[in-house]
Amino acid sequence: MISIGQQREWAQQLVTASADAVDAAQPDWMAAARAAAVQALATLPLLDRKQEAWRYTRIDALLEQHFLPADAAPAVPAEALNGCLLPAFDAWRLVFANGRFMPWMSDLHDLPAGVQLRSLREALTTDAGPLARWFGQMSRHEGHVFTALNTALANDGVYLNIENGVELERPIEVIYFNQCADTPLLLQPRSLVVLESAARATLVERFISPDQSLYFHNNLSEIVLGAGAALGHYRLQDESRSAFHLGSLYLSQQQQSRYQGTTLAFGGRWARTEYNTTFSEAGAECVLNGLYTVGDRQLNDFHLDVRHTVPGCTSREQFKGVLYGKGRAVFDGRILVEKQAQHSDAVLTNDNLVLSRDAEVDTKPQLEIHADDVKCSHGTTVGQIDPQQLYYLRSRGIDADTARRMLCLGFAGEVLDTIDVQVLRELAAGRLVEILGTAAAAVE
Amino acid sequence: MLAITNLHVAIEDKPVLRGLDLNIGTGEVHAIMGPNGSGKSTLAHVLAGREGYEISAGEVLYEGADLLSLAPEERAHRGIFLGMQYPVELPGVNNMVFMREAVNAGRRARGEPELDSVAFLQQVREQARQLELDETLLKRNVNAGFSGGEKKRNEILQMAMLQPKLAILDETDSGLDIDALRVIAGGVNALRSPQRSILLITHYQRLLDYIQPDYVHVLAEGRIVRSGDRKLALELEEKGYGWITGEAAA
Repeated sequence: MISIGQQREWAQQLVTASADAVDAAQPDWMAAARAAAVQALATLPLLDRKQEAWRYTRIDALLEQHFLPADAAPAVPAEALNGCLLPAFDAWRLVFANGRFMPWMSDLHDLPAGVQLRSLREALTTDAGPLARWFGQMSRHEGHVFTALNTALANDGVYLNIENGVELERPIEVIYFNQCADTPLLLQPRSLVVLESAARATLVERFISPDQSLYFHNNLSEIVLGAGAALGHYRLQDESRSAFHLGSLYLSQQQQSRYQGTTLAFGGRWARTEYNTTFSEAGAECVLNGLYTVGDRQLNDFHLDVRHTVPGCTSREQFKGVLYGKGRAVFDGRILVEKQAQHSDAVLTNDNLVLSRDAEVDTKPQLEIHADDVKCSHGTTVGQIDPQQLYYLRSRGIDADTARRMLCLGFAGEVLDTIDVQVLRELAAGRLVEILGTAAAAVE
Repeated sequence: MLAITNLHVAIEDKPVLRGLDLNIGTGEVHAIMGPNGSGKSTLAHVLAGREGYEISAGEVLYEGADLLSLAPEERAHRGIFLGMQYPVELPGVNNMVFMREAVNAGRRARGEPELDSVAFLQQVREQARQLELDETLLKRNVNAGFSGGEKKRNEILQMAMLQPKLAILDETDSGLDIDALRVIAGGVNALRSPQRSILLITHYQRLLDYIQPDYVHVLAEGRIVRSGDRKLALELEEKGYGWITGEAAA
């Protein structure tokens, strides 16, 4: 068991080790935010299983590791980086390798007027305005040790600001590639995405690493959608089976804005995704989809905190999991409808397909409703492959392994279909076929 | 083609088939009729290979081989097809992808070349047209949200694509209106050939007006209690099952 002393010492060591790495040229407000976060690390409570949000997710294995700051990271060979590009994907691109922005791998040419897209480090020296206004605004009240750690030691990330009414016709792709076999790294991307009124964009994030890479990717994104803005946000986490990954998203939506997000979580040893959505004005819509697969020595953990604080907003949460071997998953989906949030419309589902006896999922949908005129529902299922469906396929000549794979793919396909970027959808479908090939063959 | 001898089958220790004998020759069309609970569907699923049946005695030879030792997919590869009374819905599994996989799985098992997507598409469209099956159903998920009639047409479409040697049709007529029945019967009749055998399982004789069988058998309490030609079906229609089952019990 971890004690509060150990947790603080672990964080303090990381802060000390990174002290020289933090950019001295940062603006004053950034230095103040970092100092406050360092302070918080010394006072935040212990994350333990007595807290509902951490009840099924142990952090012992994470805190046993001695991570080094990203700036100590070895450079990633160019061939490895080239291998992870998708040649058919016509997108603006930012590539981060072991936490460092790689300008020569990135493509930020010909961005339309009214769009600022660059690395956070560069933005800190050039774009004080919106960055200073929004940085930390969505996340600061909800910090736990990892949020504070990210703020204290954010090394780089994405800064995107799209001005009123500007629509991006190509997607933006962000690649986080990590390769560190012998040096466990702490990577702390910090991103801020601001879409002003009626702006529209599609953002794709891919988290990738070759097997054996051991690191902690503690990323935090803050997203602000202005009135009538629309963001499609697609994330593919397909990392090494030795990696620790925590992705925290903080989303604030103004009136009539629309967020459509899909996260696919295939990789990692310990992976957690936290979605925090707050509607600040009426008529906004938030759609969150997710798919996770877990096998031996894998944990995948999703936490949703969707807050209907104003009237007339819609949220849709659909998450599916495929578990095999000794895989473990946690789903904790909370929707809060406050008293004044009349005419809220929320639907939350979590469905799990469990292919082995030894896999485990802890699923907990929570609707907390204080208003009286709302449309809210939730549902959770945990099941196995239906023997009648399997028999039907086999009676048509399809062998049992292929039949199981088809049924798993069919189950997961509904989430893949929510990805509005064809290249990514096909990439994800291909990976899913590979993963399910292993999973389906391991049944029985 | 198919020789069933003294077949005894139980479900959860409850006997359902109790010494069933049936011989189906190549190119013949047989109909099995019988009251509810007589074991008709059990027979169909035992032949197709569904799990969960206790086979305590008897033997089933298909083309001279022991059918009961084969996996369901192997039976399909050798030419057995079961059109189900309740076709299963497969959410997320595209109908076209499913049918192409089924067709090519059989071809691979028999050492035949796979159908490429163009040839497959051409065939499946032509068959769907003949069965008056809305082409959009091909692009949907297998049976998911299909009406009863659409599910049955989809079964016959699969049969037409798989070209089985022994087609078993379990209550294919149930829940169909007269127009749908005519179309489906047309699909079955189109497959009649001297090389192909058909076993129709039905509760009513109505289907047999459209697909005329060479032989009719009455199944009651797990056994064939009477066999004859088409006239037997008509006689049954007139007198009801009590006529035969009462006689069998006596």
